[in-house]
Amino acid sequence: MSLFLSVALVFCVLGAVVIFVAQRISREMSDSAIQNLSESLDLIQSTIEMVLESEAEFQSLVAREVAKVEDPEHYIRSFEKNQIMVKTAFIPAGKTEGYSNTGETFTAGELDFSAGGMVRGMPVSQSYLNHMGTWAYTIQCPVERDGRGLGTLYVEYVYDLIDNSLPNGFYDRQATLYIMDTQSQRFVLKPKGLGMRSAGHLNLDDYYRANDIVDAGIRAEVARCLEQGENALFYHDIRGVDSLNYMWSVNDGTSYLVGYVPVEAIQQEGRSVNQSILIVVLVMLAAFLLCCTLYYINQRQQIRLRREREEEREVHNRQLAEALHAAQVASSSKTTFLSNMSHDIRTPMNAVLGFTTLLAKDADDPAKVREYTKKIMASGQHLLSLINDILDVSKIESGKVVLNLSEFTLGDLVSSVDAIIQPMAAARGQTLDVEVDGVRHEHLIGDETRINQILINLLSNAVKYTPEGGHIWFRILGQRQRSSQFQHLRVEVEDNGYGMTPEFLTTIFDAFTRAENSTTNKVQGTGLGMAITKNIVEMMGGTIDVTSQVGKGSLFRVELELRIPEGHTERQFWEQNGIRRILVAHASPDCLNNIQLMLEDVGVGMDGVTSAEEAVALSMGAPDGHQLALLDLDLPSPGALSAARQLRQLLGDAVPILFLAHFDAHGTEEALALGNTGVLTKPFFVTAMREKLLEMQGSGHGEAAEAANSLAGLHFLAAEDNEINAEILTELLAVEEATCEVVENGQLAVERFAAAPEGEFHAILMDVQMPVMNGYDATRAIRALARPDAGTIPIIAMTANAFAEDERAALDAGMNAHVAKPLDVQLLKKVIHDLTHQSERN
Amino acid sequence: MKLQHKRYLQRLAAACLAGTMALSMISCGGGQQGDKNLITSQAGEERPVNLFSPMEKTLPGVENVARNAFDLTIAMAEEQLGVTVAYRTYTAEDYQDKTYDDVTLDRVRSNMDDIYLLNPDVIQILGEEGELADLSGLECAKNLREVVKVANTVDGKLVAIPQEMVAYGLFLNMDLFKKYGLEPPNTPEEFLECCQVFQQNGYQTPVGANRWWLEVFVLAIAYADLYNGGNTAREIAALNSGEAKYSDYMRPGFEFLQQLIDHGYIDPEKALVSEAIEGEGPDFMAQRTPIVMAYWGAANTDTAYGAPDFEMQVVGLPSHLGQMPVMPTTGFGIGANSQHMEDAMAALDVILSDEALRTYTNVNKVISSSKNVEADCIPALKPLNDRIQQNYYVLGSNAGMKLEQWGNTCIIVRELLAGATVDECMARFDQLQAETLAK
Repeated sequence: MSLFLSVALVFCVLGAVVIFVAQRISREMSDSAIQNLSESLDLIQSTIEMVLESEAEFQSLVAREVAKVEDPEHYIRSFEKNQIMVKTAFIPAGKTEGYSNTGETFTAGELDFSAGGMVRGMPVSQSYLNHMGTWAYTIQCPVERDGRGLGTLYVEYVYDLIDNSLPNGFYDRQATLYIMDTQSQRFVLKPKGLGMRSAGHLNLDDYYRANDIVDAGIRAEVARCLEQGENALFYHDIRGVDSLNYMWSVNDGTSYLVGYVPVEAIQQEGRSVNQSILIVVLVMLAAFLLCCTLYYINQRQQIRLRREREEEREVHNRQLAEALHAAQVASSSKTTFLSNMSHDIRTPMNAVLGFTTLLAKDADDPAKVREYTKKIMASGQHLLSLINDILDVSKIESGKVVLNLSEFTLGDLVSSVDAIIQPMAAARGQTLDVEVDGVRHEHLIGDETRINQILINLLSNAVKYTPEGGHIWFRILGQRQRSSQFQHLRVEVEDNGYGMTPEFLTTIFDAFTRAENSTTNKVQGTGLGMAITKNIVEMMGGTIDVTSQVGKGSLFRVELELRIPEGHTERQFWEQNGIRRILVAHASPDCLNNIQLMLEDVGVGMDGVTSAEEAVALSMGAPDGHQLALLDLDLPSPGALSAARQLRQLLGDAVPILFLAHFDAHGTEEALALGNTGVLTKPFFVTAMREKLLEMQGSGHGEAAEAANSLAGLHFLAAEDNEINAEILTELLAVEEATCEVVENGQLAVERFAAAPEGEFHAILMDVQMPVMNGYDATRAIRALARPDAGTIPIIAMTANAFAEDERAALDAGMNAHVAKPLDVQLLKKVIHDLTHQSERN
Repeated sequence: MKLQHKRYLQRLAAACLAGTMALSMISCGGGQQGDKNLITSQAGEERPVNLFSPMEKTLPGVENVARNAFDLTIAMAEEQLGVTVAYRTYTAEDYQDKTYDDVTLDRVRSNMDDIYLLNPDVIQILGEEGELADLSGLECAKNLREVVKVANTVDGKLVAIPQEMVAYGLFLNMDLFKKYGLEPPNTPEEFLECCQVFQQNGYQTPVGANRWWLEVFVLAIAYADLYNGGNTAREIAALNSGEAKYSDYMRPGFEFLQQLIDHGYIDPEKALVSEAIEGEGPDFMAQRTPIVMAYWGAANTDTAYGAPDFEMQVVGLPSHLGQMPVMPTTGFGIGANSQHMEDAMAALDVILSDEALRTYTNVNKVISSSKNVEADCIPALKPLNDRIQQNYYVLGSNAGMKLEQWGNTCIIVRELLAGATVDECMARFDQLQAETLAK
């Protein structure tokens, strides 16, 4: 506003100055124009008067000559007519008639000298049209000899001489000039140029009329001037052009110069000056406006920048406030978490220590010892899971987690998860329904461990947060493929448990949150599971979302895109076993479709029926048509068993019959008794069926494998800096009838191995984090030793660094395998067995 | 967006600076040319051609179409020949002044100018006196209509050439004619009846007249048979030889005028002192007078009757043969002793060329003197034009008649207006004819 007012003020001042200057210039120019025109008219007036003077002077000379001659009449009559003196006449004194050079008798009666015009003291007549048809005047001159009047000499002059003496148009021929005989007010000399005829041509009235000069004041003033013989100038528009009109007295007012000059013609230079001033003013105004505009734009930019900075500052402040709040919340969460952890860790630790005390006390009572060790084991497992979770979160948050992609089968995944969760659910009296639908590809590439972790987290949570007797649904749903190279899976875990409040749903995937405070709730856990789950899902490029209602349950939905491996050997197995078509009996058509979908993927045909009777009838119709029969154990009466028996007779003993049953189904023993039969746990997977067939083909291998895993008689070198761990290891191996020599660090291990004769140790069990020399360096040193078994002796990492990247680091260092602490004896036995036997084979 | 805005500002600032620089350079560069401090004035040789003509008075804010059309042709001559045509004009202030014709005679005889616009009687007088140059050698003369050549040839010399064929007729206020159920008159009798009706309806003087043009009534009645009867040459020859008397031809027309005067259909006193159009024009335009007479061009000119507030129609003068246009032949002549003869001849050849006449005719909507130039006329002039196209007209002047018609008839009509009887007027004609025969 102030800027606008300032600009307006400057404009006003500038405008006032311009108007003042313009008016001043206009005034001065007007004065100048009048002066200019006056000078021009003075010049013309002087010229005319000079002509008249010359004529009068010449006439005086002629009069003197007439006075000298004896016969004036002869002299006059012989006087030649010329362009100046068109008629010369003489009237002797005392007579009324005279004679002229034109021949006729001359009388002065027609001449009117009443106007009183004089030139050099000689009267000048009023103008008249002479015998030549042009305007003329006569000058009267006395003729005297020796002071005696002889008569009067009259000489007629035409205005053409004056016309020739005048400038040929003035003010660049824009001015209009008439000579007016004052007494008659007739124009006796007129402008002659083209276009000069519009300004009136006859007399003063005609001039007024033609030029629309009707102002009585002007006309009266002009009349007064004419009467007084004064000059008059006045402005009046002549045919739309601003003009300066003039009435300029000649020869004491007997004649007048009448006409007008366009003001522009007089003020040509003034117009240029005005235009220049106008240009300068406009340029200045433009410059001023430009400056104002630039200043305004600059100000706007400054204001905008200031506003942006303020907004930015506000955003920063808000972010800082949010960060502070988040930090406070995080701090609070972590405090709560620590409090929870303190409670959660102390609880099992308390159990461990308590039962250990009891163990020491009741060491002689084997039953109690077994009971105490079982509880200590459970508490230890719980502690381990807590620690794993914490480490997981830590790793994920620090971005150190990498996915370990490998081929896996969906069937194995579901089977392993089912095997873990079913017992948990069963323990709480919950029903777990596993459903697989629309999955075309069982063989997929992904981080099986992490997917397993996701599923177990979701399902274990469902078990945790569903009351006893509740229902849990675990669904794996094949979705429409977006790419032929990826299987789109939707994993749903639904329960009808406690559910969650909307407020909690917004933080469920944040770390250190838990539905209920563990100090007040029986549900145990770190509160990190969902955060870990979400992070893993997102690492895999998937999404996870949840819907829940308090008291009604929750539904977690995970969307994953898993790569389909190129070409697998699944088809080969079926072809090699000659299984081209399977008879499938299942009460649910949807399940039949699902099974068909999966079988198509491995190139196996299927005849699906929904009842036992249909199965039998179909088989009777084509006894050699099916190389395998798959029966849902829950087929309606007469049931799967009845159908199996009839099918056995129809198909013969060579054709395997498989039953599809829930993991806790009853009646499987009877089914298995039919021979060449097997039970597949629902849901159906082709891979599970293949494994089952393989198992049926080589039954009894399990026990042999168990026996082969025995460590009896083996001798190990163990590098372990922790005495307790070393003792545990020693004792565990002793239980397996193996022996172990323990060294305290990697350096000692290297030295010991180097000193040992070849074949003394069957394998080296290497801790990683040790003083003096860590396990990796020690391994590299051993591998570098110049002895034949340095490169072949199995070295197994035994470390609390239990992540995939740790395993990779171990392998990179030259170790053969990685077993995480706390030691899983069975796992250790299997790894050692595999490696030692492999070593032996090599 | 910001970048574009910034660039725009930069360009604007650059343009402003460039403009300022350009203005500075222009202002600095407009100084004296070179180092010369001497200015020489080279006056070009002027080739004047003096033209003497009458001129209607000018009204403020009104364009004179006829004059503009004439000026256009003069401009063509100036441009093509490099001459400067100086207008010298005379118009009588009142009836007491010398007439234009008188002044023209004086000026031609005194060799005052080069080209003159001449009325028919003056053409004949000056032609007979040998004061006018022979124009038959001009290129433009080849294009003239035959009637023009005949009317302007004196003693075998083509002494004047007009730009247009002037046709006189009656200008009628058709609103008033229709109001009183009247048709344009064809005969003198019908004319008198119209005047009677108008007079009965309050138009005391139904015919506006001036001291110049009343003779057209006389000429139309007098020579309708002569020019349209098929014996034109023989009758003129009889008049020139004295076998026939002009007074016999003129009498019916004068008697008709006398009737108009007697019935008060014209005001003789006013007519005698009235200039053409100035006297009767204002009443006609104000619809106080239903009938006037004037020449063709007056219907096109705003300074005359070009913009009436009523429906106007121009018809021929009443005669026994119906409406009769009267066509005197004005024209441009060159003094036999013209000071600038060569340039005057060349200038006249330009302003009378087909190209110039086409311009003149198109602007002025008149009948061209050239047989090669045609133009549409305004609707008001259609009845007059139709009669001319049908070859029904009377020449207002004829150089072939030894007694000048246009001027003499005009003067004798004035005598009638002044109170002379028809017989006295006829005696005047007889006297003039005798004088002519005596030459």
